[in-house]
Amino acid sequence: MLGKVSCDQPRAGLSGSGALSHVYIQHPPLRCSIPETQGLYHDDGNKLILAPTCDQVLSWNIGPSTQLDPPNSDSISEGPVLSIRYSLDKKVIGIQRSNHEIQFKNRETGETFSRRCRQDSESILGFFWTDCPSCDIIFIKTSGMDLLSYEPELNTLRLVEAKRFNVSWYAYTHESRLVLLASGMQCNIFSGYQFSSGGIIRLPKFEMTMAKAEANRKPVLAADDIHIATIYGRIYCLQLDRAGMLLNLYRFYRDAVVQQGTLPIYSSTIAVSVVDNVLLVHQVDAKVIILYDIFLDSLAPISAPLPLLLRATSSSGRQTVQAEDNLAATYGGTIYGESWTFLVPDLICDVDNGLLWKICLDLEAIAASSSDIPSVLDFLQRRRSQPGMIKKLCLAILRTIILERRPISMIARAIDVIVTSYSHLVKMGGALSGGSVSPVQTAHSGSQHGVNSVLASEEPTTRIVNRGKSIREESLTGAENEQQQSTAQSKPKQSSCHSVSDSECDANMQAVGTGLGDMSLAKSSSGDLHASVAREEMRKATGEWNSGADFEQSPLQSERPEQSRTLSDPCVSNQQGSQLTSGAISPDEMYNFVFAPVEDEMGGDPGYLVATMVEFLRSVSKERLKVHPNLYVMMIQLLARTNRYAELALFIRNKIIEPSKDVAFQLLELGRENLPIRKLGLDMLRQLSLHYDYVTELLQDGHYLEALRYARKYKVVTVRPSLFLEAAIANNNPLHLAAVLRFFSDFTPSFKSTSDFNRYHHILTEMS
Amino acid sequence: MTAINEGIQFCIFDLRRGQHEGQEIDKILFFSPSDCPFPTQLSVIGLCEGIITFTRIFSPEAPCEVIEAERHSHVFYEAESDIWMVMVVDKNKDAESIWRGDALRDILKEVHSLFTMFHGSLRALLEKQPSGELARSHLYSFITDYLTDFHVGKKIQMPSFRDCLSERKTIQMLTISREVAIEVQSLVTVIGSSCIGNTICNSMILFQDLLVSTTLSPDDTTNLFTYAVLRLTPHALTSNTNSWSYLRKGTSAPNVAANTAVSNAGSASEGYQHRSRDTSPGGQSQRFHIPRPLQRDKWSKRKDGFVVTDVWGAEVGTSIPLSPTLWLQQTEERAYLCVYQHRNLTIMLLIPVCLMINGEQGLSLVKKQLFENASQKIINVEEKLSRGWGGENAYHVSGYRYLLVDRDMGISRASPPGKVTTLTKDSLLALNKLREEVDLEKSRAKRDKPDSRKDFEVCIRARNNAWIIAKVTRGRELYMVLEKANETLLFASDAVEKFSNRYCDGAFSLD
Repeated sequence: MLGKVSCDQPRAGLSGSGALSHVYIQHPPLRCSIPETQGLYHDDGNKLILAPTCDQVLSWNIGPSTQLDPPNSDSISEGPVLSIRYSLDKKVIGIQRSNHEIQFKNRETGETFSRRCRQDSESILGFFWTDCPSCDIIFIKTSGMDLLSYEPELNTLRLVEAKRFNVSWYAYTHESRLVLLASGMQCNIFSGYQFSSGGIIRLPKFEMTMAKAEANRKPVLAADDIHIATIYGRIYCLQLDRAGMLLNLYRFYRDAVVQQGTLPIYSSTIAVSVVDNVLLVHQVDAKVIILYDIFLDSLAPISAPLPLLLRATSSSGRQTVQAEDNLAATYGGTIYGESWTFLVPDLICDVDNGLLWKICLDLEAIAASSSDIPSVLDFLQRRRSQPGMIKKLCLAILRTIILERRPISMIARAIDVIVTSYSHLVKMGGALSGGSVSPVQTAHSGSQHGVNSVLASEEPTTRIVNRGKSIREESLTGAENEQQQSTAQSKPKQSSCHSVSDSECDANMQAVGTGLGDMSLAKSSSGDLHASVAREEMRKATGEWNSGADFEQSPLQSERPEQSRTLSDPCVSNQQGSQLTSGAISPDEMYNFVFAPVEDEMGGDPGYLVATMVEFLRSVSKERLKVHPNLYVMMIQLLARTNRYAELALFIRNKIIEPSKDVAFQLLELGRENLPIRKLGLDMLRQLSLHYDYVTELLQDGHYLEALRYARKYKVVTVRPSLFLEAAIANNNPLHLAAVLRFFSDFTPSFKSTSDFNRYHHILTEMS
Repeated sequence: MTAINEGIQFCIFDLRRGQHEGQEIDKILFFSPSDCPFPTQLSVIGLCEGIITFTRIFSPEAPCEVIEAERHSHVFYEAESDIWMVMVVDKNKDAESIWRGDALRDILKEVHSLFTMFHGSLRALLEKQPSGELARSHLYSFITDYLTDFHVGKKIQMPSFRDCLSERKTIQMLTISREVAIEVQSLVTVIGSSCIGNTICNSMILFQDLLVSTTLSPDDTTNLFTYAVLRLTPHALTSNTNSWSYLRKGTSAPNVAANTAVSNAGSASEGYQHRSRDTSPGGQSQRFHIPRPLQRDKWSKRKDGFVVTDVWGAEVGTSIPLSPTLWLQQTEERAYLCVYQHRNLTIMLLIPVCLMINGEQGLSLVKKQLFENASQKIINVEEKLSRGWGGENAYHVSGYRYLLVDRDMGISRASPPGKVTTLTKDSLLALNKLREEVDLEKSRAKRDKPDSRKDFEVCIRARNNAWIIAKVTRGRELYMVLEKANETLLFASDAVEKFSNRYCDGAFSLD
């Protein structure tokens, strides 16, 4: 156990890895460059990268960036492609062919059909699939929005509802299930709808503010300027105000849109990513990233702006930095080059070279960049992406601050963070006592809650009250990570071809956002989760999900269990196995990996360590968690080492040290030199009703009569009579010996026939 | 002796002094009443010395504990080797004058430990200044101040049989939940580490007159606790009546009377000091400042929450009062006593003098830090304790009048004084008698086998049909009076059993 900890330290220490950047993309990228493809499309609903060629569409599941599997393919008919999205059950491919036509192909039957709009009066801006109960697909048109449902038998679409209003452009992410429709002269008046599995929620109309550039010229908001971001399960929107050089942050509530504040920008072009609930604002011109953790509504950046790093495969310490130059050379393209597209939520696509990266946070570097330890721990504990690493980092930080003897008040806050975080995990039902977590369950319940309630249940004024909930929601990302992994590993085997034309995917968010297909996160996730852990509660949860959406499960499901069980995040050096989904540290782990090693290393000053342990107990008891008796045993030893017996007695008396057998025996051991402490141990044995041990200890002290009375009262028959008799002999009291002998003869019927009886009877006659 | 009508004499003498004829008076370190003529003083001390010398022949280790004469009791206590404290109490016809020897001896013990805590041992004082002047003047002011708490009217009233359900020289603790205990412990860390460097200072926390937490050794805890209850707790600070009368509800001492007593004693002291100066060879003419920590009404709570006093004098050439210091037995060093009070919470921080290089200046810095670091926590803890506090009668168990003593920890708990007063005189007298027997039995057992412990149980049906019960087991003692109880012994033992299981974790239920 200790060996592991120490060998981990070089990586998980506070040193960080170079600290030249806080965010990196991992080499090698996913390569999607097949010569004849015509552009790349992102289907965020199904987590697919789609590359149409003349007669087929290739699809890559977006999992870990090391994913090198060959793409799947579906055949499609020839023609231009404006956007392409798979239905959420992956049965139908939707391809927007022109501003007036969307073509659909049933993948099973191969049948196709098209849906057109009136050429003269309207044009189609885009479409996406949805898992909301009443419809399957939404068309966004300049004249409004069509809600349609797919009829598999007829292989056609049925109009459920048409909403009429003018739309200049729109923004949608499947993650948020939110569509924002821009209208007005400046395109800054928005209507919003959320198509969640819980139903359709209509947001109040709102207007985004824009600074005036010149007196008479009003700026027009472009679709590029709007970024929907899902962070901790809450939905935000970032609006770039080019004239004001500001980034406005809005948060969406069920019944309101509230501006949260503004973020500064240092570049005329910006991009937004969300990695593990950290908001990344790419200052594209300046080629730096500013990180924000807006969990507590603080808009202060986490650290100074630093560039994006292209990193070698294994993040083995500092060599990365040297290798970086070579990598840049092999890459060929430029970082933040023209061809970069930022995909929701955390992907970068180099369209020219057909490369795809997942953005990662360098948590070590971030942790090393701040001296406010409690905040660092808090930040780390909110992350879900690299649980093993987070755990190690946090443990290392805790050990370090104790060894450095930082002020107790600071240690108390740090411990509070750790314990509270674990407690939330436990309350979610995710943590078992040993700190191992059933990951999928946790993640799922999180995502479930997250998506359902984002708009549905949060009120602007109850943000703090909702903290617990928010933390649950935060595991949304965790869920998606899981999912990405499982999806990646369980590649669909079907492949069919389609011809595609047109590559108008010109490296901008809007095109990607609007132009590409969409499938149900929920459904695929339920499939994954279902397969990985067959738990009853899981089924219930997923059932809920599925109730609204199409109920057919994808054929993939059956082949997933084995695969998903073996999945593991490459970022996690998996000492803890694949169980981890969270970097939360259980009280037992606190003892095993913090207090025990620290005590070995610390040498002197047990008082300080006891003080930190009391702070730990305070946190733990506040959260109503349990600690391992070994911690108490250690406290007792530490107190005894400094002769603080009076305090020890007080600790026992007030039950700061909770009674247990281990504790009692530790007290008895110490009690060899200190009678009152021994009595505390004895009392504890009695209070715990450890009758056998109590009687044995009494006999050891020579209190055989008391032991006998006690044994009779509690019917302790397991202590050998000879022990009582020996004690009476040792006292050289024939009267007592006779009494004890008599007692056993009377109360243990078979005693008279034992050799013990004869022997002691003999001794008695000799004595008297 | 007959001339003295105070009902009580109190003397301290050193057998190593005044061994030559004509110098006997040098033996006397303290004598109360101080206006008592020398021949009387000498005759009391002479008798005591004689008895001690005589009994030493038979029992060198424990020569003499008590002389019971027809009209007086002499209670002996050898405070330090060859330094004896003796209390002589009148057995007048007044029926209230019935007491327990050990209870009186506890007073002697208490006054000596308190004295040692503030001034160091008597022997050290005598060695520091062989004429004895230093020791005498310290003793004089200290014991006089101590005895003011026992003034009832013009008389000094010693604890009588009515106090037999209380135990001096023990601490009374507040029972707190684990959660609050951890909070308190966390506060202890904050308080203790508000000093310089990494050392965690000792501290003690009281809620009302009950101990909540201590980091001191049991002896130091007992002494400081006693002092705090006498002079520092909110109750001691605000009440004009003395704190012991709080324990003995019935007898309240008018403050005026106490003050007159002090001033009388003060004027008498002049004479005493003159005389002793005359008698001591090479008399001292130098005046020293004697801190009088037990002087009444000298502590006051400042606006910032710190409780301060000026009885330790002022810094040389200024009027800044010096901070109180006391001597800790455990660490064998002097420490500054820094007292902070928030509502019912009294916090005592003990800062080793050796750590405070720049004295008062450093101390005020520590106080500032203490206030800044801990005030929020203090408020929290006080609130939690107040919320859990069951009031004056929190530890009352209906139907029982009890005293529970844990000798190992030096802790006692008893029925609230207000409830004890409802007992009839007969019950109290019977219990007093029983306790005396138990004391005797205990000391006998201790003499026979110093390491062993004696367990025993006595149930007596008193004249008024009350059950008087004493149970001693494993270093714990339980005394109990059950009035208006059923007449069977079974009932009595059941009652003890129930009490023991419910309130003593089963410590007294053993068959």
